[in-house]
Amino acid sequence: MSEFVEYSLLGLLSGGVIALVALSFVLIYKGTGVVNFAVGEVMMLGAYFYYAGTVTFGLAPWIAFALSLGLIGLLAVAVERSVLRPLSGQSAVAVLMATIGMASIIHGAVEAVWGGDTYSPPTLLPRTPLTFGEILIPGTVLGNFVVAAVLIGAFLAFFRYTKTGIALRATASDPVTAAVLGININYSQRLTWVLSGLVGTVAGVLIASSAGLSPLLAAAALGVFAAIILGGLDSILGAIVASLIIGWVEALAAGYLGGKTRDVVPYIVVLAILIVRPYGLFGTRTIERL
Amino acid sequence: MRTGVFHETFVAEERLWDSTTTQRWMLAFTLALFTLPVWGTDYMLAMACIVGIHVIATLGLNITTGNAGLISLSHGAFLGVGCYTVAWLAKHGVPFYLTLPAAGFVTAALGVIVGLPSLRVKGLYLAIATLAAHFILTFVFREWEAVTGGVPGTSIPRASLFGFEVGGDRRVFYLIFACAFAMAVAARNLGRTYVGRAFVAVRDRDISAEILGVNLLRTKLLAFAIGAFYAGVAGGLLGYFYGAITPEYFVLTLSVFYLAAVIVGGLGSVLGSILGALFMTLLPELLRLAAHASSQWFPAVAGLLLPMQQVVFGLLIIVFLVLEPHGLAAIWARIRRTFHLWPFRT
Amino acid sequence: MANLVRRKLVQSLGAAASLGPFAIGRSYGQAHKGDIVIGASQPITGIFSFAGVAMNNGLHDFVQWKNAKGGVMGRKLRYVSEDSGFKLDQGVAIFKKIMAADKPSFFYGESTQWVKAITKDAVASNSIMTSSTSLASVVADPANLPQHIVPGPTYPRLHEILMEYIARTSRGSAKPNIAYVYADTEFGRDGIPGGKARAEKLGLPIVAEIVTKQAGIDVAPEVAKLRRAKPDIVIFQGYILAPMPEFVRQMQEAGLNPQIMGTAWGLDRPAYEALGKLGVRLTGVSMYRYGHETDSPMINEMREYLAKARPEQKNIPPFYITSWLSGMIFAEIAERCIKANKPLQLPHMKAALESMKEWDSGGITGLLVDLSQHDIPVGRIYTYDPGKGTMEPASSWIKV
Repeated sequence: MSEFVEYSLLGLLSGGVIALVALSFVLIYKGTGVVNFAVGEVMMLGAYFYYAGTVTFGLAPWIAFALSLGLIGLLAVAVERSVLRPLSGQSAVAVLMATIGMASIIHGAVEAVWGGDTYSPPTLLPRTPLTFGEILIPGTVLGNFVVAAVLIGAFLAFFRYTKTGIALRATASDPVTAAVLGININYSQRLTWVLSGLVGTVAGVLIASSAGLSPLLAAAALGVFAAIILGGLDSILGAIVASLIIGWVEALAAGYLGGKTRDVVPYIVVLAILIVRPYGLFGTRTIERL
Repeated sequence: MRTGVFHETFVAEERLWDSTTTQRWMLAFTLALFTLPVWGTDYMLAMACIVGIHVIATLGLNITTGNAGLISLSHGAFLGVGCYTVAWLAKHGVPFYLTLPAAGFVTAALGVIVGLPSLRVKGLYLAIATLAAHFILTFVFREWEAVTGGVPGTSIPRASLFGFEVGGDRRVFYLIFACAFAMAVAARNLGRTYVGRAFVAVRDRDISAEILGVNLLRTKLLAFAIGAFYAGVAGGLLGYFYGAITPEYFVLTLSVFYLAAVIVGGLGSVLGSILGALFMTLLPELLRLAAHASSQWFPAVAGLLLPMQQVVFGLLIIVFLVLEPHGLAAIWARIRRTFHLWPFRT
Repeated sequence: MANLVRRKLVQSLGAAASLGPFAIGRSYGQAHKGDIVIGASQPITGIFSFAGVAMNNGLHDFVQWKNAKGGVMGRKLRYVSEDSGFKLDQGVAIFKKIMAADKPSFFYGESTQWVKAITKDAVASNSIMTSSTSLASVVADPANLPQHIVPGPTYPRLHEILMEYIARTSRGSAKPNIAYVYADTEFGRDGIPGGKARAEKLGLPIVAEIVTKQAGIDVAPEVAKLRRAKPDIVIFQGYILAPMPEFVRQMQEAGLNPQIMGTAWGLDRPAYEALGKLGVRLTGVSMYRYGHETDSPMINEMREYLAKARPEQKNIPPFYITSWLSGMIFAEIAERCIKANKPLQLPHMKAALESMKEWDSGGITGLLVDLSQHDIPVGRIYTYDPGKGTMEPASSWIKV
């Protein structure tokens, strides 16, 4: 029994980081309608910048972290300007493929510059574990969850209570009306991309500090797509809840069925739920008009 | 200078290659390919085989994604299904003219299952459902050791026709060439049938299509099935060519490769599929050649060029999407027009 | 009419131009008649690049070194390698290309699926022997892959050696609980059945068998499962570095301190240093001597060569040693064939290989090597020495 509790706790806590990556995706989808398949690569690039900052240039971890956030923000702006703007209005396949192309470029560049080895960047958080009885929650898992929770809480508050946040939500739900009301659409969409990149970087640094840094980090985002679909593509709350569920399912699968089922089981669960709720748990049911 | 193609009978108008020039070029092209083993090196022959396999797979994906607008991320896994089906059947002594269609039909059935979520979901949700199918299929490849040989993979015995072994690149090339040709013609023909037009209708406005009497579910399932059939046959030919395969071949990157081939070639066009597959398959070779050549004169560039494969791959996709969204087929058509209308400008 | 002719001319020129690129031949470097060519398809880029660069350097350096020493009976070796990015399509294309252009006698490839894919063509060409980094049991098969050489023991053999060592060192006391933690790849899975079978024969209990994804990003549930089994020994297989440190750290946080063991590629510097920092003395079966050891003439030569040619390289990874060793085996086969006045064709080369029953590898592997079964089933136990910061031998060379 304590096994089940332990796996469940571990899963729910690791769902926090999954939620960060999911948030990174949903922000862009909700804000600009773009399906961003490059979330994993952006996450990885942020982690590599952090590593370069701390190890190659010897900066203090927090400074390197801030710098990597800044760089990713700049990259997001550049990408949005050069790639997404010319493609706005194209078919979904085209935009999807553009993000896949971006992912390829980032992945190739990272491999070219840093190679395929695994690195260990320094951690930002303490490692003391939490134990009660037979259950041990490693410090990294707990720490990652706390950071993720704080960040997500901050985002939810940002979207609810700040002017910029409300402006972003307005742009997301109806760009034309928002423009009429004086909100700068271009600026809003660019800001959405920057925020998404920042969230991704945080997730990347968290994962890299606990699990090591290598080009395989980007593959961690694949499991997130299951969470995104489960929660509904355009619902932030859905992404968070679904990430916790997917984290939980993954941990149970890893514990009881073995680590090799980690990839498959969440997707089977998602497929099953899609039959009942085709737009995910919290997604908006779209009504199509001719 | 040709001002147009004028037909005198309905039959002539409905032909796939409707002008004498096109027919002559097709004949020349077919002859050149047919005699490739004579004038080409072993390396070119092997590349031609690989290109042929990728052409068939890309044709299939172009039907599902280009014609019917259903994004499929499981195409690579479908290839695997075809390959393993052929492996298993061939080990039990089934000849190739039965294993290949069988592989096609088995994969098509699987494609129908993968497409079933389209009953309820569409767009990106459907794409992620195909991603789920990819993960499930690759898991099965690795675990179902009785049929697929598990992680170490399996071997595929040589195809044989009444005791005549299709061994060696030359003979496999003819097998692949025959299949590719037949399937390309079939794909081209699909465009002028009811089914082909239904695909396009569903892609453009599926609600309108439904109102016009197109059965949405059946059409979407058929799109998946036909695409999967092509992938299955391509996978079987892959098995016959390599003689042995492991699950490492059928990764998500392969599906992305095919999607890229479809985009770069041109969505919805058969010529686009062929050009796209050709281009994407030869791209690593071209890059290597460039790296080799530049290492003679600019050694620093070579060291940078090798890992850049992925970067170039991504850049190409984006460049094509931004500058020429209709892909290589459109560029080809432009070049053709220039030749047709020369010396006048287009 | 003239227009039509002109148009047709332009069209045919266009057609000819499109054929042009295929007519470009490839001639790089200076080839002398009588050169013995070693071709290679190396994963210099791609997911295996951390090993591919070392593999490429190993063979390249060996060829340079051997030529400096006079080549093989006066004939120079020539190394032709291309980057395959660890993709099967490219690997096979490279094979065909180099076979056609350079007529090699030996070929080195990167993966098991590559070996299986090119075997038919290699045997049909009747003129090459192949080798690869892969130590998978499916490629150590003289009957089905007569041209292939495995430059080491196969993964199951390595695990059998490890089990024997565990049984030997725990004689008398209670049998230790063993846990297997491996990656869901061929590198991880291939050796496990052999190890388990030998453990059962020796009466060693295996209390847990944990499988992780290849990129073990979040392994907390797996570690939790491992902790509950309370193993005394944990054998890792299939990892170069990650997620071994994370496993160890979490186990230590739970108060467990099992002995950590591994095999082959998982005993290299990144692993033993990272684990050493956590206070773990990594132990395992290595099939080659380490690059820092001084009692092997060939390892010393390697070190000297690297000091001159690649001074920035401080560590000799096992991937380097394996391709160097393959080069040595190739050279020895060529030498035996030339001495026996036989042409470099498959039957003669295979016979030469199988006649290498007591071949001295210059100390790369400890015992005299017996290649008659196309592999080298020899290994030695090494343990990390925190004082010296390197792996030191903990047993004599064991032959399985």
